[in-house]
Amino acid sequence: MAEMTYLEGISDGLREEMRRDEAVFCLGEDIGAFGGAFKVTDGFIDEFGADRVLDTPLAENMIIGASIGAAIEGMRPVCEMQFADFISCGFDQLVNVAGKLHYRQGVSVPMVVRLPSGGGFSGGPFHSQNPEAWFVQAPGLKVVAPATAADAKGLLVSAIRDPNPVCFMEHKGLYRHVKGDVPEGEHAVPLGEARLAREGGELTVIAYGSAVPLALQAADELDEDIEVLDLRTLNPLDTEAILASARKTGKVLIAHEATRSCGVGAEVASLVSERAFESLDAPVRRLTAPDVPIPFSPPLEQAVLPQLDDMKEACRELLAY
Amino acid sequence: MAGKMKGGPNMKLEAASPSRSLDREGASDPLTRDDRALLLRYMLMMRLSEERGLTLYKQGKVPGSFYDGRGQEGICVGAAFTLGPSDRTCILHRDLGAHFVRGVTPDRYFANYMGRAGGVTGGRDGNMHFGDRKLGSVGMVSMLPDMAQVATGMALAFKMRREPRVAMTFFGEGSTANGQWHEAMNFAGIHSLPVVFVLENNQFAYSTPTELEYAVDPVRRARGYGFPGVNVDGNDVEAVFEVARVAVERARSGDGATLIECQTMRMHGHGAHDDMSYVPDELLEEWSHRDPIDLYASRLADEHGFEPGEIEEIRRSVASYVDECAERALASPMPDPAIATEDVFADEWEALGDAEAPWSRWSVTAPSSDSSAGDGRPRGNGDQPGLAERGRAA
Amino acid sequence: MSSSPTDGPASLVEIVMPQMGVSVAEGTIVEWSKRPGDWVERDETVCLVTTDKVDVEIPSPAAGRLARVLVEPGDTVAVGTSLAELDAAARPGEAHPEEHREEPPPARRGEGGQEADRSAFHSPVVRRMAEEHGIDLSSVQGTGIGGRIRKRDLVAMIESPGRDVEPPEEHERPLHIESPYRPEAPAPATEANGDRVPTGDVLPEGRREAMSPMRSLIAKHMTESRRTAAHCTTVVEVDLSRVVAARKELREGMERRGVPLTYLAFVASAAVDALNRHPILNASIEGEEIVYHDDVNLGIAVALDEGLIVPVIRRAQRLSLEGLASEVYELAGRARNGALEPDDVAGGTFTITNPGQFGAVLATPIINQPQVAILDLEAVVKRPVVVDGEDGDSIAIRPMTNLCMSWDHRALDGAAAARFLGDVKDRLEGWEAR
Repeated sequence: MAEMTYLEGISDGLREEMRRDEAVFCLGEDIGAFGGAFKVTDGFIDEFGADRVLDTPLAENMIIGASIGAAIEGMRPVCEMQFADFISCGFDQLVNVAGKLHYRQGVSVPMVVRLPSGGGFSGGPFHSQNPEAWFVQAPGLKVVAPATAADAKGLLVSAIRDPNPVCFMEHKGLYRHVKGDVPEGEHAVPLGEARLAREGGELTVIAYGSAVPLALQAADELDEDIEVLDLRTLNPLDTEAILASARKTGKVLIAHEATRSCGVGAEVASLVSERAFESLDAPVRRLTAPDVPIPFSPPLEQAVLPQLDDMKEACRELLAY
Repeated sequence: MAGKMKGGPNMKLEAASPSRSLDREGASDPLTRDDRALLLRYMLMMRLSEERGLTLYKQGKVPGSFYDGRGQEGICVGAAFTLGPSDRTCILHRDLGAHFVRGVTPDRYFANYMGRAGGVTGGRDGNMHFGDRKLGSVGMVSMLPDMAQVATGMALAFKMRREPRVAMTFFGEGSTANGQWHEAMNFAGIHSLPVVFVLENNQFAYSTPTELEYAVDPVRRARGYGFPGVNVDGNDVEAVFEVARVAVERARSGDGATLIECQTMRMHGHGAHDDMSYVPDELLEEWSHRDPIDLYASRLADEHGFEPGEIEEIRRSVASYVDECAERALASPMPDPAIATEDVFADEWEALGDAEAPWSRWSVTAPSSDSSAGDGRPRGNGDQPGLAERGRAA
Repeated sequence: MSSSPTDGPASLVEIVMPQMGVSVAEGTIVEWSKRPGDWVERDETVCLVTTDKVDVEIPSPAAGRLARVLVEPGDTVAVGTSLAELDAAARPGEAHPEEHREEPPPARRGEGGQEADRSAFHSPVVRRMAEEHGIDLSSVQGTGIGGRIRKRDLVAMIESPGRDVEPPEEHERPLHIESPYRPEAPAPATEANGDRVPTGDVLPEGRREAMSPMRSLIAKHMTESRRTAAHCTTVVEVDLSRVVAARKELREGMERRGVPLTYLAFVASAAVDALNRHPILNASIEGEEIVYHDDVNLGIAVALDEGLIVPVIRRAQRLSLEGLASEVYELAGRARNGALEPDDVAGGTFTITNPGQFGAVLATPIINQPQVAILDLEAVVKRPVVVDGEDGDSIAIRPMTNLCMSWDHRALDGAAAARFLGDVKDRLEGWEAR
């Protein structure tokens, strides 16, 4: 074990995989000599060379399209969108080509798209988005969203080894604020398995990404019997873990930073009401950003992104229900 | 570089010059007599299969729509004929002949159009949206420029692993207007990737004429990306073969990409639903005299000593093979609805397989090849497992 | 107002004379609105009290049954005096049949401050638990918002002494308990034929290293093959003069096209040709049957640092010399890059190995099961050989090699093996471009 930040966890996982398997390479904008906008690949070019830490032109469709071709031919590309927001420029390749190839023709596309997402630092409408729901809605793409340093590493490793295109949502707000013990060397966290982050009996908070530390802090400060389930993988969802916890506590709050309508929270809420209705002791609630672009000015941004007090209030209301 | 370099869009309609000026005299002629017979066979196989497919469409056997590449047979056949077994392709909807060269059989083509279980995609996708993974082909999507990027990515893998392999992709002049095309060309140029871009300029993007598609002939953009662009008469199969051969060798030996622009004419509508009322009659009339199959049959007779009966026999045998394939497809079952929700995700990565490579450079000429001339099946397209054995691609 | 436990049962709640202003010391009961045995909701008025300043309705501090009245109307008592006792553990509707319960008003929503009565609303889980455990919900006092019966209320009841503890039927699978435990790999089996396995104490000191997975697979396959097949090895000497000449002629052109032309490609081409004429060599043994394969799937052994891998050229009979050379080059490259996939190494029908590239001149290779033969290309070495000349024998310097083939005596005999090798030799010695 070593104490690492979430950011270091990602770097460590990527580095381990590149050492283990020569087919793994990364490509993206400014990831080489500069080490990436967030320094995930800092120093990689010295260890792995410019071929495997490939600086690309500013062309997201090409980054993803070339990754698809290379992946089909047995490489394991890990492409970096400089900001998750920029995925809109690569959407076509990801959704229409990568996501559908296996279904249509049995062609597997083992690639990872790293998506630095999330707000909270005045990034404004184009550097703060949490677009994971777009990809959960697109068949054929797996979507993961770690909340801890260990999961950042372990899920990235599994994403790289997975034979499918995987969107790896890494929350920028967690990069340096989340620290934890991370297993050194080989560490893979299976995709599709949620993590019980805190055990409790009265209320389940289902969260992922930045909402997980928020939920844990709220639970600790309220000192209530709250369970926190960290989804970790958004597609495929760990339906069994969700239902088990919902059935156990009978009260569910789903929290995410992404906007509300048709988000992951909506999907989880629907799942719980369809399959755990008779265990429900309260309405299923969501704590999310409202359906607005992420504004720039700090007070506006704070008004939009779920805050600790919002989380505590939502928990209190459900506990009292 | 072989082939005629051409200038602006005005040159397109005078592209019928014969390719005999190519520098490949005597012993260095890369095509044998058998190769030439094969080129004719594959073009005929495409023509007759598409004619039959259109009939099936009109008979109500084909759900959705129908697209063909009438008049463009020389491009896909000539270009794909240069490829070796482990080369890879992204083949588009006017390029059925390339699928045939690489080993897809017409029965699986018909079955794919009819949504049958034995189609290349097993009913998951329709019409020409297919590629046989086991024959090294990644099937197209409807966003036509996209595949240029996928081919470029495959070429990136070849280059990174220092493998002497080539990716070839096809698209129309319509695709060159899209940013993805530019991104692919730019990237291929930056890294000198072993990819061959085959541009089929068939004069219309659906109904939009070239003058509304570009101000400068797209082949001239190749220089801007740092690799050669070659203009060639797309209705001359050997001319296409020759420029593609040079481009493929160039790519294989590490010298990077080539853009080949093939001038041709889409002789049918965009799809079977399109009456092409927007195409001037004179244009169709002019191109009708430059049918790639008729031109090549004449050349085989005039320059390579093919007897009229011999060419007629090839035509007849291909026709009966295509018929037989259509019957087989018609008799084949529809897919089991249960598979509609399967295989969205892969359980493990599976490699593409190698394709047929019927050109004599790659393929052994059987000692008794003449005796098989009568069965209508070119090498590489008779011994592939057919519909019954293969089932769906996935 | 306050309440405190009395000496009685723990469930008894006292109702006391409240302090209604700093200056008030005592109060007088005007009337009781509940009598002993009555059911009282929390905050429901139990009696009216008057002081020298105000008249006040005293609300019950809890829900329960009024057990005893301790102060009668008209009596004045000090602040803090116990007025009555309430049994909070009791349930409504028991032992007092004439008790009247008002229909609760419909739950209201969003009316600021005032909490709506929700005691009549039962959530899905409350209904289900009540049904499963035979609980009459009208007898349960809810502790949720607006008196709503919560799941925890029912759980408390069910778990209270005297009730059968019936775990709900839903089985909750254990959640994500990660154990560091991993089964250890079984110790490598020792030879079943009783070979003595040396023990550590007789070995000299040295470095000990576990076999790599690839090494141990090779070990397993090779010993299995030795046990399975009746190995014989036949060797022919081949004069490669014409091949050397042909290679010189073709090499540059192919090189230009990205394909290096090696001797191996010539031998592969000759072998594939000969296999077409000698189907017994392109076969495998399955039980008591010999399977003759239609296609030649030619395995090419590639030496890697960590072992050996045999990628397969599928349907090699369709490939020309250049086609074979290209496939050999491409597959070997991918093998060295670790880019082979499972399909690439499966389904071989005949194997060629080429240790000659390292200078070896003779070997007895082990057959790649379930194939029946493996052909070994040794180093090409210039040697003096006796050749037929027009003037009789003479000695010439020729590029010579040995082709060593191990074959399975279960499938064929020495003559068949020699005939096959003779064919390969003839083709190579008389090499002509085809």
